[in-house]
Amino acid sequence: MHKEAGKIQFNFSPQLDVVFLAGLYDTDYEQAELVFETSAEQIRIELQHAREKFSAGDAAALKKVVHKMKPLFGYVGLNKIISDFAAFEEVCAGAEHISQTENGFNHIVAITEEALQTIDSEATRLKQFNTQCL
Amino acid sequence: MSMKFQSIIVEDLQVSADFLRRFCEKSGVVDVNNHFLNAEDALSYLKDNVVDLIFLDVEMPGASGFELLDQLLYSPQVILTTSKVEYAYDAFQYNVTDYLKKPFTYQRFLESIQKVGKKSEQQNGNSDQDHMFIKSDGKLIRLHNDDILFIESMGDYVKFITPAKKYITHNTIKNLETKVNPQVFMKVHRSYIVNFTKINDIQENTLFINGNMIPISKTHKSGVMQKINIL
Repeated sequence: MHKEAGKIQFNFSPQLDVVFLAGLYDTDYEQAELVFETSAEQIRIELQHAREKFSAGDAAALKKVVHKMKPLFGYVGLNKIISDFAAFEEVCAGAEHISQTENGFNHIVAITEEALQTIDSEATRLKQFNTQCL
Repeated sequence: MSMKFQSIIVEDLQVSADFLRRFCEKSGVVDVNNHFLNAEDALSYLKDNVVDLIFLDVEMPGASGFELLDQLLYSPQVILTTSKVEYAYDAFQYNVTDYLKKPFTYQRFLESIQKVGKKSEQQNGNSDQDHMFIKSDGKLIRLHNDDILFIESMGDYVKFITPAKKYITHNTIKNLETKVNPQVFMKVHRSYIVNFTKINDIQENTLFINGNMIPISKTHKSGVMQKINIL
């Protein structure tokens, strides 16, 4: 974080799409904190749904959950994950049996769990920043 | 843009809806009257309430955003909000005002709202028009509203029926319904727009104009009954 023209700026972590996040939040870091927190919460809920649909062998329902999760990564600057999700949606759409989605599903779960750590960490940084600025 | 647009958000993802609401507030030109998590609840609201603009997700639990558009009794402006670019062609077919790929920035949102403003100005400018030009047989033909009995869909073409002649032109009912004068014309079925000053009688779900039988769809019935002057 640094001070610029009288306005304290938050520096998003470099593993996130910082340019996109700047366009999304401008300097509304309280909104950013809220969105990072709620996105993480929603991703956890949807990940659980995805696991349930996969266990139930329902590829069509799994596709819907993945579709719903996809934009959540955009709001936290993890845009590169979105293309993996889009590709997995196609796998689900074309699957005649749930076993055909297994590799893709494991990959999606792994990147989501990794992403959640990043999002949680950024939410904490934002919270600290906003608390200091109060 | 001096007027404020009355809008609703139809979006099953709360984070996206919150974002949109915040952008609307920030713009100062869009009021969000309600938020619905599915198309069915939105449709129920829209039967009794008029809005200028719908922010509409495509894939939702239950009916899709496009199914909602199929059942609307009137044509507010629509901004599709979706995470899939594949819907762009459908968006064009439904004559939506803009298409926002989630997530989108505030700048991109503002561009959409500017399009809404421009389209609104065009529509208001058209509301007093007593005629239209159609392209038929390689010519631009001027048709007075009063000459047109009804307009019928023929796939990618429409047929303008007048007492004297039928004119076929490349267009769709969906596109025309936003361009014809709403004081004279109304959509009564997905394949028909009628000049309601020409209606001779109505029986159940059929209306008659100059001996032509025109179906009234279930979704448009209440709109038709509101328009006609029943004593």
